[in-house]
Parts: sequence; C-alpha cells; structure tokens
Amino acid sequence: MELEAFSLREKVALVVGVANPVGRATALALAEAGAQVAVATTLPTQREQAAAHACAQDIRALQRQGFAHTLDTTSAEAVEALIQRTVTTLGPLEILVNAQDLPFAKPLSDTSPAEWKRVLEVHLTGVYLTCRAASTPMLTRGKGRIINVVSLLGERGMAHGSAYCAAQAGVLNLTRALALEWARAGITVNAIGAGWTEGMGFLENDSLRQQLVRYLPSKRLAQPREIGDLVVYLAADASAFLTGQVLWVDGGVLSRL
Amino acid sequence: MGVLEKLRLTGKVAIMTGAGRGLGRAMALALADAGAEVVAAARTQAQIEETATLVRARGRRCLAIATDVTDSAAVNMMVQATIAEFGRIDILVNNAGGATSGWNKPLEAITDEQWRVGIDVNLTGAFYCCRAVLPHMLRQGGGKIINITSGLGVRAMRHNYMYTTAKAGLINFTRALALNYAEKNVQANLILPGIFPHDDPALLQFWQGGKFIPVGRPGKDEELGPLCVFLASDLSSYINGAVISLEGGGLAGGQVPTGFAPVVPLTEGEE
Repeated sequence: MELEAFSLREKVALVVGVANPVGRATALALAEAGAQVAVATTLPTQREQAAAHACAQDIRALQRQGFAHTLDTTSAEAVEALIQRTVTTLGPLEILVNAQDLPFAKPLSDTSPAEWKRVLEVHLTGVYLTCRAASTPMLTRGKGRIINVVSLLGERGMAHGSAYCAAQAGVLNLTRALALEWARAGITVNAIGAGWTEGMGFLENDSLRQQLVRYLPSKRLAQPREIGDLVVYLAADASAFLTGQVLWVDGGVLSRL
Repeated sequence: MGVLEKLRLTGKVAIMTGAGRGLGRAMALALADAGAEVVAAARTQAQIEETATLVRARGRRCLAIATDVTDSAAVNMMVQATIAEFGRIDILVNNAGGATSGWNKPLEAITDEQWRVGIDVNLTGAFYCCRAVLPHMLRQGGGKIINITSGLGVRAMRHNYMYTTAKAGLINFTRALALNYAEKNVQANLILPGIFPHDDPALLQFWQGGKFIPVGRPGKDEELGPLCVFLASDLSSYINGAVISLEGGGLAGGQVPTGFAPVVPLTEGEE
C-alpha cells in the first residue's frame, strides 16, 4: 500500500455544516488531501455566511477549487440546486459530508412541537435530502462516499437531550440502511461519532466543560481536526470495503461504564 | 504538515503477531510501506522469514522472531529482542488467532483442550503481548495497540462457541486498555475484518463468492492495510476503544437472504 491510497486528488467533495468547527476542519482536511471542496452552511445568518466564505477562502489558499453556499437543508429544491452547482462548478460529486449541527437541549415537557420538528428537520431530514440529491451523480458514476458526522448522543442518552438524541440516532440507522441499499452501486455510507469536541455548542459552560474533561478517559476534548482526518480515510479509495459503520472518535469515553 | 504526510510511520517500530501469512502479512507490509520497521512474529519461522524478505524489499528493517503467543516467556523474549534491536516499540498489532479449535461442534462435543487452546491463542496471547509491550510504550510517552477481532466478536453463529467468546473478550479487553491508558497517550482499538478468503478457492467457494455480503464480494487482504496504517498513525490520536469494521456492510443489516425489501407504498386512509 502506498499513502497514495488516501489521496483525494481530482475528487469533488461537498461539506454541509462548515460554520461549526468539525465541519470546517473536515473541509480543510479534504482539501489538504487533494479534493476540490464545496462548503455550505445551513443558517442564513451573517455569522454563518462569513464562516462559510472564510472556509472557502482557506480551501483556495491550499490551491484547490471551492465555493461557499448558504443552504436551506429542509428544502428539497434548495438541496438539489446545491448539488447541481457543485457538479457544474467543480465536477462529478464523489464525497458528501453531513456535519450540520443545531445544538438544542430542553426538558421534553418544555420542548414545543415546533422545536422538535426543527431539530429533526435539520439533523435528520437534512441528511435524507442531501443523500438523496447527491446519490444522483454518485449512482451515475458508480462511485460515491457519504460520511455523516453525528455526536455521542446518537448512541447514549442525555437528560434534556431528547430531541437531539433522537435525531442523531436516526442518522445512524439511516446510514446503515443506505449503506445496504447502495452497497452494490459503489457508494459507501458511514458515520463518524464525534466525542466531546472543542467548540461544541454544549460546552460553552465552563464548569460543565471541566467536569466533563475529568470524566473523559483521554482527559481532554477532541480537536475538530481529529474528526476531519478520519473523514479523509472514509472518503478515499482505500476504504471501499468499509460501509454501514459508525466509527467513534471519542477518546475512549464509550468504553467506560 | 499535510494530512497525508501525517500518515507516515517513519522511525516507528511495529510488532505484528500472526505475521506469516494472510491479513497479518498484508498489514505488516502496509506498515512497512508507510515507513515503519517491523517485527514479524508467528510460530512458523519459514513463513515469517518470507514476510521479512518482503518487508526488507521495501527498504525497511525486519526482525522475524518465531513466537508462540500462548507462551508468555516466548512473548517476553520476543519483546526483549525487539528492544535490543530497535530500542523502542510504537505499534503492537495482535493479529495471531484462529477459529478452528472446536469449530462447528455442538457444545457438548467440545473438549477441555479445544476450548483452552482456542481461548489461549485468541485472547490470552493478546494479553501476554500487551503486558510485555505496555511498559515500553509508557516509557516512550505513548503507543498504538491494534487488536484484530471478528464479526463473531459481536454476533454469534451456529455451533461456534470458543471463537465467538474469545473475540468478544478481546473487544472488551481492548476497551479496558483504552480506558486505563488513554491518559498516557496509548490508544487501543480493534479492527473487525469481514470475510477475507486470501485467494483460497476453497474458502471463496465456502462463502459462495461473497454473494451474501452487501457489497457483493469478499475483502482483499491488501484492503486491511490502509486502516491499519491509519490506526497506527498520529491521525488517530482521539480514536480509542473503537471497533472499526471492514466487512462490506454485513453487520449493518445482518446477512439476511432477502436483500432489498419489496416496495411497500404508504396506503393509510385508503380502502
């Protein structure tokens, strides 16, 4: 094996959710490995749009092509249009990364139907829509890589996390079902379960953060790039036989009681 | 430094048990390609000598040490010889194992000896190797342990007891290592390979060419290499206690013969 097996040269990728640190780090890791990368954010706020543009600029600074896009992940037409733009601007789409994240935590009794619907829409329906739209160019070429980034809360429950946990767990089993559906069509579908990571919305509270770090076997949070680097392997030709899996990057936290 | 350069294992020393053939040899060669020096350990000297020749052809040093991993004294000597030759151990791959002892027998037909021999080679051997290697990793400030489990470590099959028990034990042994040595920068993970017939026509026939595997084919030995390199490299510094399955999708749904479900349209409210 040569390290060439990990190279993404001349491959086209789309990363959805680059306003959060994991999405951003993933986009840059893919570009470093050689891919042309389109990046999208999922909220039309100034902060998110600025983050997407900064990310696209960093991609171009690595001598790759790329562009920033603001996406309504709940609109099938908008998602189709982004896939079209990616194919037209960068070439046949081979790698899709879903890293959209909408932090939300509330007691269930206080969670309104609108909040529940929005969390499910962004996390779960958004992944359904991007996978469906991206599958068109992937099935045409008989080659594709889909990587869905979720959190530990897709596997473990957390008080006040009901909507978020349900949505993330949904993505994990969507990943398994799609992996089987497209197994013979050359598309692999996998998930990365990110542990507690620097920059996560849940960790802005300092005392919660310190308490958590003490509990982690690694005694430190993940760096966003530690998730992004694994995306490179899952996006490469080297991982053709790996599909339908959840790969945990959690510093050992799922290993403990 | 770019992401691809960080995969390089230049200057690192890897011990591979079961290195004489199949997946062990493929992983040893992949580690060598990525830059590591290799210690090839297995029982059969002729086979590890062959692996060593292939490693050296890649420009890396290789020590071939005949080792029975079920003999803790032999394991300790192998580790001592590694330190004497290279001065360090960065990567340990516990790949030695085998499913044949007591295979395909009803429980009451399995002898004490078959059970003990099987558990020893698949589980106790990994414990002996980890116990001998860990002090060196701790002294060096970290290391990588990669244990090879099996689909039978997470699921059961008809008339299979020893192997399914040993491989499941190996998974939780690895989690215990991950939990206890994470702070010391040791990462312990598992690779779960699916069906790899190693170009053996009999095995290929036994698995019917891989037609029950979702991707429609069995694995190729060399496909294990990149995953092994990734888990041995600095890129996997936060992956710890994980089981990474490279098996063509079989575990995602189970090997059911139905394949695609028939299309069932939503019909609620209709007569």
